[in-house]
Amino acid sequence: MSFRNIAEAIPAEKRQTVSNKLSDLILSSKNDDKMPNDLANTLLYFWQRNVLAGEQGLATLLEAATLLESEKVIASLADLGLPDVAERVKQTTTKT
Amino acid sequence: MEGQWLVKFGIEFVPKEYYWKIMYYAIQAERGGFSNLWITDHFNNRNVYVTLTAAALYTNKITFGPGVTNPYMVNPVFTAQAVVTLNELAPGRVVLGMGAGDKTTLDSVGVEMEKPLTAVEEAISIIRKMIDGEAVACQGEVFRAAGAKFLFKPRGRIPVYVGAQGPKMLALAGKIGEGVLINACHPKDVEYAVSCVKEGVAAAGKRYEDVDVAVYTSFSVHEDIKKANKAAVPVVSFIVAGSPPQVLERHGIDVNKALEIKEALKANDWGRAFGGVTPEMISAFSVCGTPDMCIERIAELLKSGVSQFVVGSPIGSNVREAINLVSEKVIPHFKT
Repeated sequence: MSFRNIAEAIPAEKRQTVSNKLSDLILSSKNDDKMPNDLANTLLYFWQRNVLAGEQGLATLLEAATLLESEKVIASLADLGLPDVAERVKQTTTKT
Repeated sequence: MEGQWLVKFGIEFVPKEYYWKIMYYAIQAERGGFSNLWITDHFNNRNVYVTLTAAALYTNKITFGPGVTNPYMVNPVFTAQAVVTLNELAPGRVVLGMGAGDKTTLDSVGVEMEKPLTAVEEAISIIRKMIDGEAVACQGEVFRAAGAKFLFKPRGRIPVYVGAQGPKMLALAGKIGEGVLINACHPKDVEYAVSCVKEGVAAAGKRYEDVDVAVYTSFSVHEDIKKANKAAVPVVSFIVAGSPPQVLERHGIDVNKALEIKEALKANDWGRAFGGVTPEMISAFSVCGTPDMCIERIAELLKSGVSQFVVGSPIGSNVREAINLVSEKVIPHFKT
């Protein structure tokens, strides 16, 4: 399953909260050397346009946050009341 | 009709982090109403001008520049070249912050801080001439040039801010700067600093209102005061350790306690160093607290005649949230 598909499964009313949480995980990560440049630039592209809570923006955040902090992403999504989304992220990370 | 700002807000970032983190915050700060972005310049962090180049490309209206560079590590002609080139990327948005540098960093690379007042004044003179497209020929006490000139035509105007802490540098800043970056947080210190700046402004026959007087602070905001303090403590511990006794005494801080912190920092004993920081130290050397507490302190600083308030490190325990707090709760308070 692609991160875009996972992002689509996040209910509209929770997208901003998820976007903020994922941004915090990325910005505070000690694994920031794992961030690929093209992904960082895509993230900034969406942030410049203030659409990180949109589907493409969330997909980018999910991909980046999962690369840097996969376990924290899964736990955070579960904490935010999105166990199904957390499970999908888990399946995606297990496959890769 | 749009209201007027009582004070401009700037924000400082240390390019110790990856460019994409700094750019995330820069974009956020611009969107949140900050007017100035300052990037610190130390050789042991990532390069200031590369970071500013990214800022030029990722932002649209915020004014930005090194805050501050110094004339010892980089020859003034290269500083002029860097800011002039930046100004081609982001016309009208570039400023230059120039100070004497920090002695510890200069010592670490064996560079002597020779005649700091003269060095800063001469460097700025050279830089201004280069920005104006003139050939520079001078026999200064610190710098010499024999017809240095760009092989291209520089465009635009680049205001120079002088970073200052001591009375003589503050007066010089008032005399020669389009702006001044005052390194202080406490109203008593800022009031004194502004009086020194005013002496320089008067000596130059300028109007004080024409100089952008910025106070460059260690800042930490959080809705929970304990979290705001916790983030401020490491930065304050270093400031306390580096402060001369007369500065500590002016704030009623026990010099021996400051020495203990200094020793602990030297020994990398963070627990002891940070544990030695008192509320008085936090108050003296940072603007720290809930948004309301920060508003109160900024309002006090404004009484001295400050025209720009710079939110500096650490900003908050969560920088993203702290920028949002300043944007949503602090900045709007200072609009008429």
